[in-house]
Amino acid sequence: MIRHLLLPATAAVVFAAAACSRPASAPAAPAHPNLSGSWVRPLRDQDVGGIPPLNEIPLTPWAAAKLKAERPAAGDNQDFANTTDPSLRYADPNGYPRISLHPMRFKIVQTDDYVYQLWEYNQNWRQIALNVPQDPDPAITWYGNAVGKWEGDTLVVDSVGYKDSTWLDARGLPHTQDLHLVERIHRMGENLAFDITFEDPGAFTKPWAAHLIFKPSPDGSMSENIYTISDELRFRERFLNQKVNIPIRR
Amino acid sequence: MRRSLWLVGSGFSRTLSVTAAACLVSASAFAHHGAASIYDMGKETTIKATVTEYVWTNPHVELGISPSGGATTELLLELGSPPNIRNRGWSSRTVKAGDVVTVTFHPGLRGAKIGVVVKMVTADGKELRA
Repeated sequence: MIRHLLLPATAAVVFAAAACSRPASAPAAPAHPNLSGSWVRPLRDQDVGGIPPLNEIPLTPWAAAKLKAERPAAGDNQDFANTTDPSLRYADPNGYPRISLHPMRFKIVQTDDYVYQLWEYNQNWRQIALNVPQDPDPAITWYGNAVGKWEGDTLVVDSVGYKDSTWLDARGLPHTQDLHLVERIHRMGENLAFDITFEDPGAFTKPWAAHLIFKPSPDGSMSENIYTISDELRFRERFLNQKVNIPIRR
Repeated sequence: MRRSLWLVGSGFSRTLSVTAAACLVSASAFAHHGAASIYDMGKETTIKATVTEYVWTNPHVELGISPSGGATTELLLELGSPPNIRNRGWSSRTVKAGDVVTVTFHPGLRGAKIGVVVKMVTADGKELRA
């Protein structure tokens, strides 16, 4: 009986020793921190950072005038019925980083060559290509051209090529096509921190920074929450009694 | 503070109450638009009514009701977005036309026949917050 018990135990020790003696099969230690998972920034939480107050952002005269003319759909001076918010008036993609300010979660999928950020809201996503140079003549897109590299435990992301019709936040903070973001993404305890530096000579007189904190969210299937211009027009017709003529953006 | 304004019925009891409220509004409503330029966020109205339509759509699920018990929408109410209120226990089958519910909402400004739902109690007594 004892012999029967010892044999499997011995075999296990021998197998384990053999496994340890084979470097090729030993699991490699992760080269970089694991950012993958689902993350959320609850609106009511006080410890999740944010975009600074508008009077702390060094706006150029052009940006200050543009901001003053906007009519946001929420917050101070809200005018939902007549809003100029492109993500509502035209159901445009939120763009970056505004999409990250939405209260729905996002998921990070991490590979050796890319980090993908998948937002649940509107099924928007961006890709961060790792260890490649920034494109000197990038395509102009809603979510920009992002490249990244690891500096120790921090993923440093450089992005350009942002379409200038998006707002940087729901207050109407403007930018030009010369917007350049540098993000330092890193774990902060169980949370995920994005330290974002904004450079845009047309909109800001000097670089400024925002600090966003995301908390872990239960993983699993993402819900579908796609919002379209037909949804918006339906809502406006039914709730605001507005006629559904679409103004042309100029 | 809660006071009853009406008690009317033709075989159908109705109550309309106004509550001076420290109001909690669903984050989902704010995600699409601010509520203060459309609704009177200082008021809550509670009413028993018949469901005339229940549309599971973006940006907000729509609940049409008839306080008079008819089949035509007399008040159009918005809820959160589908995934947000699903997390709070709602589904596309929570109610259907003809059901009688008691719903609490912030009414539209300037007498508009709209509102944003705070909570709803179904005929079998189940309470759901929007």
